[in-house]
Amino acid sequence: MSRDKIWHLFARKLTGEASNEELNEFELLIKEDSSFYYELQAIIQLWEQDEPKDQEYLEATYLLHLERMKEQGIEPGKNVETEEIEIRPFTIFTRQRNKIFAGVLLSGIVVIASVLLYKKKEDKPITINNLVVPKNEVVTKNGSNTQLKLPDGTLVWLNAGSKLDYSRIYETGIREVYLTGEAFFDVVKNPARPFIIHTSTIDVKVLGTAFNVKAYPDDKTVETSLVRGSVEIRVKNRPSEKYLLKPNQKLVLVNENLIEKTIKEQRINTVTVPVITIKKLTYFNGESNAVETAWIQNKLEFKDEPFADLAKRLGRWYDVTFEFRNSYSEEIRLTGSFENETLVQSLEALKIATNFNYKIETDKVIIY
Amino acid sequence: MEKKAPYKNINDLQRRIAVYEDEAAYKELFIQLFTSLTRFSTGIVQSKETAEEIVSDVFIKIWNDRARLNEIDDLQLYIYVAVKNNSLRKLKQVNKKSTLSIDAMNIEMDSLYQNPEEKILSNESLKDIDSAINSLPHRAKLIFKLAKEDRMKYKEIASLLNISVKTVDHQLAIALKKITSALGIGSRKKS
Repeated sequence: MSRDKIWHLFARKLTGEASNEELNEFELLIKEDSSFYYELQAIIQLWEQDEPKDQEYLEATYLLHLERMKEQGIEPGKNVETEEIEIRPFTIFTRQRNKIFAGVLLSGIVVIASVLLYKKKEDKPITINNLVVPKNEVVTKNGSNTQLKLPDGTLVWLNAGSKLDYSRIYETGIREVYLTGEAFFDVVKNPARPFIIHTSTIDVKVLGTAFNVKAYPDDKTVETSLVRGSVEIRVKNRPSEKYLLKPNQKLVLVNENLIEKTIKEQRINTVTVPVITIKKLTYFNGESNAVETAWIQNKLEFKDEPFADLAKRLGRWYDVTFEFRNSYSEEIRLTGSFENETLVQSLEALKIATNFNYKIETDKVIIY
Repeated sequence: MEKKAPYKNINDLQRRIAVYEDEAAYKELFIQLFTSLTRFSTGIVQSKETAEEIVSDVFIKIWNDRARLNEIDDLQLYIYVAVKNNSLRKLKQVNKKSTLSIDAMNIEMDSLYQNPEEKILSNESLKDIDSAINSLPHRAKLIFKLAKEDRMKYKEIASLLNISVKTVDHQLAIALKKITSALGIGSRKKS
C-alpha cells in the first residue's frame, strides 16, 4: 500500500496539513519511486497558481450588489471617496482580406490593430452614486468584431459593421442600449432593472440571459436568437403584440420595406411570407453551438442559405462588396462553415460545391 | 516551494469590517470569495443567476451583522455554510427534495493557469489534467476544488460537507492520483 500512501502524503503536503515527519516521508517515497517525479513537480506548481481574477466583472457585480442593498435601505459606502471606472473593449479581432498582391496571411485570431472605440463629442463625466464614469458608444467596421463589458457586467460581442450606444446606462442608470447591426448579449440578471435593446424595428427586453440580435438595416430580416433565459420582444409598428422566446428559439422579422422595394424592382410574383416567424435555432450535426451565434467564435456558419444573403454576411466579414451579374447565382443555396479562411479560400471552397465564377477587383467581388 | 496559505487576510478583513465598518474591506471580501461561492451554489441550485442572488443575500446579512462579525471563528467556513444552507433551502422550494447528496453536485472549477514565466507544461498536458479533473467523480472533484481553490483545511471541508476528515483525506488522495497519472500517461517519454 505504500504506492497509495504517496498520494495521501502528497495531498497533505499540498494542502499544508502535513507534519514535518510526513513531509520527510514523502520525499523519501518519491526518491524510491521516481516514475512520477516530474509529474508531481508539475502538479505542485499548478496547485500554487490561481487563475487571475476577472477584476472588471467582479467590480461590476459588486456594484449590482450595492444596488440590491440600497433597495433594502442599506448603504455601506456613504462616506467613500469618488472612484473612477474606465470601460474599454478588451479583445479585438480582425480578419485580413486576401489582396491579390499581398502574400501575408494571418491565420491567428488576435490582432490588436486599430482601436474601434468612438467617444461621443461631449465627453463630460457624469457623477452617479459617488462614481465618475465616461459616456460611451462602440462602433465596429466591416471586417472586424469586438467584445466589451458594460458597467453592469453584461458582456456584449459586437459583430462587423455594427454600432452599440450604451450611454443611457450612465445617464439614467436605466439599462437601455441602442443597436444597429448584430450583437450577442450575455446579460447580468437584475430583476429590478430590465435590460432593453432598441433597434430600429424591434425592442428586446430581458432580465438575465444570453441571446443574439441581428438587425442590419440592409438585411431582409431582423432576427433575435435566444441561447438561454427568456426574452420578450416587441415589434415597433405593432405595439400591441409581444413575443416571448424560449431557449433555442429565434424570432425572424421580415423587413417589410426592403421586401416591398425588391418586389417593385423585380416584379416578382410573391408567395405570402409571414411577417413574423418563430423558429428553432439551426445546428449542424453534432455541434452544440448554433449557426446563428457561431460568429462569436469567429466562425461564419451557414445552412441552406441563399448566396445573395450569404454574400452580405461575407461582405461584412471580409470588408468587401459583392456584385451578382446573374440572378441564378443569387439563389444558389449554400451550407458550410468558415473559420480562418481568406476571402479567396472561401470563394474557392464555395466554387467546388456549386457552379459559378468570380473575379475580384480591389475590394469588390463579382459573381458571374 | 512555498505552501499556499489559507486566505490569511480574511481575518484582517473581518476585523476591519467588524470594528471600523470598513466598506473597502467588505468589498475586498466580496471580490475574493464571490466567484468561488457562486460556483458552489450553482452546483446545488443549478442556476448561475439564482446562485448569484443567494451569495449576494448572504453578503447583505454579513454587512447587517457586522457588529458581531468578530465573534465568528472561521469566517470563510461560516460564509460557505450560509451559502450552502440558503442554496439547499432554495432547492427545496423549487424541488421539494429534502436532501441533496454531494455526489450529485457538479461544480465548475477555475481553468488551469500557469505563470507565463514559469510555464513548464505544454498545452496538451494542461488539457490532459483538465479532463482528468473534470472526469473525477463529483464528490472527489468538489473536495479537490475546495482544497485547491478555496484553500480549505480538511476539517473545514469535512464540516461543510458533513463528512469525516478521513473521507476528505481519502478523496483527495484519489483525486491527486488520477490527475497526476493522467499527466504521466500523456507526457512520459521512454527513459
